[in-house]
Amino acid sequence: MDGRPLWAIAAYDDGSGRVPWPVSHTEIERTMGGACSTLAGLGVRAGARALCCSVLSESAHFWPLMIGTMINGGVFSLADATVGDALRVAMFARSLQLHAVFGVNEAILDGLDDLGIAYADLFAGIDVVGAHPGAYERLLAAGLMPHWFVLCGPAVAIATEPGGPARVDPTEWTLASDGDRILVSNLQPRAQEFVRAPTCIRGRLVDASGFVPNPGGAVPYPTGEM
Amino acid sequence: MTGTRPAPGARFFDEAAETRSRADIETMQLERLARILPHAYEHSPLVRSAWDAAAVHPRDISSLDDFYERAPFIDKTTIEHWRTDRRDPWGGLLCLGESELTTILSSSGTTGAPTLSPQRWAPSDGPVPAGLSRDLWMMGLRPGEFMMMVIFTFRGPAFGMAQQFGATPVLVDYDADDMLRFCELSLRYRPTCLYNLSSVIVLAMADACERGGYDPTDVFASYRALVQAGEPLSAKARAVVASWGAPMFEHTNVGDVGTAFQCPEHDGLHYWEDDTLAENLDPSSTAPVADDERGELVATTLVNGTTPLIRYRSDDIVRLTRTPCACGRTHSRIWPVGRKGDGVVVDGRTILPIDVWPAVEEVDACDLGLFQVIREAPTMDRLRLRVGHHASDMHLAGIRDAVAGAVEARLGVVPEVELVPDAELLRLGPPHKIPRVAAR
Ligand SMILES: [Zn+2]
Repeated sequence: MDGRPLWAIAAYDDGSGRVPWPVSHTEIERTMGGACSTLAGLGVRAGARALCCSVLSESAHFWPLMIGTMINGGVFSLADATVGDALRVAMFARSLQLHAVFGVNEAILDGLDDLGIAYADLFAGIDVVGAHPGAYERLLAAGLMPHWFVLCGPAVAIATEPGGPARVDPTEWTLASDGDRILVSNLQPRAQEFVRAPTCIRGRLVDASGFVPNPGGAVPYPTGEM
Repeated sequence: MTGTRPAPGARFFDEAAETRSRADIETMQLERLARILPHAYEHSPLVRSAWDAAAVHPRDISSLDDFYERAPFIDKTTIEHWRTDRRDPWGGLLCLGESELTTILSSSGTTGAPTLSPQRWAPSDGPVPAGLSRDLWMMGLRPGEFMMMVIFTFRGPAFGMAQQFGATPVLVDYDADDMLRFCELSLRYRPTCLYNLSSVIVLAMADACERGGYDPTDVFASYRALVQAGEPLSAKARAVVASWGAPMFEHTNVGDVGTAFQCPEHDGLHYWEDDTLAENLDPSSTAPVADDERGELVATTLVNGTTPLIRYRSDDIVRLTRTPCACGRTHSRIWPVGRKGDGVVVDGRTILPIDVWPAVEEVDACDLGLFQVIREAPTMDRLRLRVGHHASDMHLAGIRDAVAGAVEARLGVVPEVELVPDAELLRLGPPHKIPRVAAR
């Protein structure tokens, strides 16, 4: 769509499983702008350190957050969102005085459990703990105040405050509901158009860009170890 | 490279750079040393301390011979000393202020806890060395094509190498559970290069083909290059890859300073000497070994001004040759052999993990080749092995005997074998490799 080869074939979960997602360079570059504002609102500014936990097929969701952190003058680190990489998550959390961690999922929490590491202690000093549905509830039960961090189909939805609704970039996406699942439509040109596209997220819409996931509201996909 | 892209049929991505004469390579290396040495001496507390202790200054180095004769070494122990005793998380290597960093990544942690790798990225490009485009072209990828990426994320955006080259990465998780998607995406996008295979991923791909009803020769029909890195593939995985009919190219890192890939000659792995100055020395002294002999790789960066490793003793045992390759490239080639300090002496002979490997994987229940040599001391009364298996408990005694018998037949020593489920050893990963030597 911009004369360049596609940025990547990434993937998102439409509720039936992960489907291929062609992404252009233009939309990634544009999304970085929105990510910078979201991150600044969360305090990821000069000198702040953020850890992104993801798997490779989620790179189109996470790359704007990583580069956005860098553009804001912060420093980002990376871990895989798997049971096996929980030790790395712990290492970063202990050694870097993180301001934010994005993408905490149940696999990471399972891995921390296996290592005997209490997440209430590990994440206690981190201002923004962005957690996927499933992990969010476990962190809450451990006494933490996580932010919703939701891969809502091709969109990333992050809460601006603990307990607040997860929000997508309102210049990029608009949300709807089919009474059960969250649906997304794109507002800017993309290599793949989305019109009320189903996602794996169940929840309650609060407006056209925000929603609160249902308890256990994501249709999980395996991000385990091998 | 500068200027236009080569024609699709061209042999080289950057012919002038890849076929430079030895004299030109050395001239360029000396020019780059003349920039990096004063910078590292000025800004890296570890480098300055090592050079001061050796009473050498960068201005004393006016030739490569000066460098080889006078420059002091650093090694993992020195760096670790700066981390622990001097409480410097960057191991004394960081040449920038912390406020100038953009990214802090980490090592794999195969042989201990992961260590921090501080970096500064230019906003537009990220940390993808330009030489990687030469490698991708060398293995047959062309701009505009799709490149399959099957890799973890913690090391950074490996997909950037495809994007920088003008190809589109197809992103698949480094997870056995994602291999059905790998099959579907291979058939849909017809990628020509795959990065990167390990034994576990190879067997998961084969399993996914079977489960999904895919013909593997069809799934792999478009691939001109399957890149393999990490530890060597198991015999079983090698046989599976051979049955797919696509050529495999080995890939390794060069002393934590650069990377190396096989060329179509499959005769050693090329690294780019305009980025990396490598020496091959006697592991127990400072003397160089002869060309094409086994030695310890000692690496110096010519380009990394953030955490410059200067004369870094890598502990990697390699064979190295400067003889130009039949492919026409003049840059040196290495063959990885093993790790210094991985040997254990039993009955007067040194046994390396690479010696045990074929015996373990010839036992069906252990054919993933997952094992550890238990090395409580450099010399042991008995060879002790911890071996992964995938079998029901009722067969364990038989499997233990079979492994012991296979090791005895190959090495002439009867090992003590502890069996554990494969998953227990894989947990020690990162998934592409496990520590092959354990202290207990
Ligand atoms: Zn060659």
